[in-house]
Amino acid sequence: MARNIEAAKCVQCGKLHYPTHFYCPSCKGTKFQGVAIEGEGTLVTWTRSHVLPLDYSTMYITLGIVQMDMGVKVMGQLDVGTPQTGMRLRSRIGKVREIQGSDIKGLVFTAI
Amino acid sequence: MRDVAIVGVGSTQFGRAQWSLLKMMCEASHEAIQDASLGDRKIDAVFVANMGSARNNRMAGLASALVDRMNLYPAAAETIENGPASGASAFKMGFLGVASGFYDVVLVCGGERMREVNNLEATEFVSFLSHRYAEYVYGVTLPGLAALFARMYMERYGVTNEHLAMVAIKNHANGLLNRKAHIRDSITMEGILTGPDAINNNPWVSEPLRFYDCCPVSDGSSALILAPANLAKELCRKPVRVAGIGQGTDTHAVHERPDPTELTAVRIASQKAFHMAGLTPQDIGVAELHDAFTILEIAESEEAGFFPKGEGHKALERGETQINGRLPINPSGGLKARGHPVGNTGVSQLVELSLQLRGDAGKYQVPSRPKHGFTVNFGGFGNNVIATVLSEGV
Amino acid sequence: MIDELEAMLRPPVLEMAPYPPKSIVLANGQTMVVRQASIDEVDAMLRIIQPVTWLNRDFYDIVSARLFAELLGWKKYRVRNEYCLVGTVNGELAGIVNGRMFDEQHGVSYHTLALKRGVRVGAHLFAAKMEHHIEYLKQDEVWIVAESPIGHRRWMIEYPLQTKFEVQHELGGAPSWVLTRDTYFKAKPRLVTGTRPVPPELLATSYPIREPDLQTMLVQIEDTLEARI
Repeated sequence: MARNIEAAKCVQCGKLHYPTHFYCPSCKGTKFQGVAIEGEGTLVTWTRSHVLPLDYSTMYITLGIVQMDMGVKVMGQLDVGTPQTGMRLRSRIGKVREIQGSDIKGLVFTAI
Repeated sequence: MRDVAIVGVGSTQFGRAQWSLLKMMCEASHEAIQDASLGDRKIDAVFVANMGSARNNRMAGLASALVDRMNLYPAAAETIENGPASGASAFKMGFLGVASGFYDVVLVCGGERMREVNNLEATEFVSFLSHRYAEYVYGVTLPGLAALFARMYMERYGVTNEHLAMVAIKNHANGLLNRKAHIRDSITMEGILTGPDAINNNPWVSEPLRFYDCCPVSDGSSALILAPANLAKELCRKPVRVAGIGQGTDTHAVHERPDPTELTAVRIASQKAFHMAGLTPQDIGVAELHDAFTILEIAESEEAGFFPKGEGHKALERGETQINGRLPINPSGGLKARGHPVGNTGVSQLVELSLQLRGDAGKYQVPSRPKHGFTVNFGGFGNNVIATVLSEGV
Repeated sequence: MIDELEAMLRPPVLEMAPYPPKSIVLANGQTMVVRQASIDEVDAMLRIIQPVTWLNRDFYDIVSARLFAELLGWKKYRVRNEYCLVGTVNGELAGIVNGRMFDEQHGVSYHTLALKRGVRVGAHLFAAKMEHHIEYLKQDEVWIVAESPIGHRRWMIEYPLQTKFEVQHELGGAPSWVLTRDTYFKAKPRLVTGTRPVPPELLATSYPIREPDLQTMLVQIEDTLEARI
């Protein structure tokens, strides 16, 4: 089973953030609890990127920033034909890249 | 703190380097040293700005190498890597050195040779700036981040692809006047956007950004000499005073910003620079902004305080940012046409601004002969930004 | 009169439909005329290509040297069913593409050489070549290989082409990729542009082929303005 992508919740003040920081962005606490980034969210912005890093051999990839209902904004790949800002999406963990022969898992979104 | 002045500037041709990175840097430094008429005066310290020499040119410790090649021993030497803001960072370190009285004469040299690797490798190496596990692994490049930013901006403020093309056309036209610019070819609205063949002339790089919305991959080196104001008159006929420097940082991941259309670091850096200079955006007569992507010129012009938020594109429409407009932006061609040797860009912007304030910019001299100029050197995707105000005379 | 031996060496050729000229407005506002070149223009083209064969940059040497030989082969009737399209800007040669009919149904793409760089001349001319094979020569498919990474990105990925590795491409290198009628018509709105007919006075500017300034051409090729961060 694929490992979750996790946001961090500050044990001291409860602030949820992603990506993680060494100090909590609101109270400088250093203890956090992992919170899985999963479920649904709303598309904030997106792009179809045609000029890609060397290790891709597809024509383009679709990327987006998604406001998750669970509270954080994330970047992910979109598995959506015609994305539209404001559309609702559901996340899953999938292969997003191959770096030196090993698969990298990350957030992939599909339309609801 | 002492007042500090730029007393000499130099720059290579931008584009594809004919020689090694080090030789380019020597050329630019030599031009700056000649320009400053240093005579027998020694250079106390050298600050070199570069982002990718270890990867792209298999060279490290550039500042020490430059001191050796130019026989500047025993000058102090540091190489500064701060992404695309390396140039202004090195300049800031040089400024602090002179302002504090620790050094008298400082050479700041930016140099980048990116064309030693192919363009895909260059794009890849710049994308290392993105957040390793929250952005980079998804295959995002700098044009990708700029595109995500651009779509939000365009949808919110009514900026269109025509506006973006207007930035490109303006900066290409300016670059045509700058003999050291990388790209010296004019482009037309019909050719890149509205004509029937535009779709193939100007393909998508990362939607909604097209090819002509992105700056080229360039080689180039620029250099300048800093000295305390009281020495400046002796070393230079037309010194330019460093009036204000400001710096701001922001979250590494673009999506973590509460409102990702805000370039908070640009705003903070600009406010600090203006505060230090005791000036306001209304005092500025020429600006060199970091137009790595056309959308950035518009957004930075607003965050810097030249136009209200969401109205930069209207000023552009009215022609205010043309070379003969109220606030000429990027008369040198900007990163779009002059070129973007990443680590060097900050230094080259300051060199261009100095030429404008001295009245030495030749064919692309802003006709109003401005007294104060402004630059934004934009690092990462807006997570480390340095703004500078320069003023004519000491 | 062709003597008996020459008749044996000179292969019979298929009838080939002509390529109707078109014009393309480039990014810089200049107009490029794309038209078919004839055998009597080969010498003019060879003179222009020759200095490029020594340019070790982005595979320009290998592409221009092979194109040189292919055009010469065509002129001396040693390559059959070959055609050549050129792009000219203000009468100056901006780029050359060539290929040939393998048989009625199958086409072979040879080379694409952009002499004016940074304004997508290569992309426009490659598209014209595909247009010729599919729409005018009425072929079912075109076999293509890339000799440079730029070519691979442009053709294999941008169109996108399918693999046809069971066919050994005539250029003798990597096995073939293929452009089918179906792929072509899907890619056409995105990649194939141009206006017809070309007004006679504009078409006249492209005769005879004039050589671009050698130094400007070589510097442009070296500069590869096309790279973007």
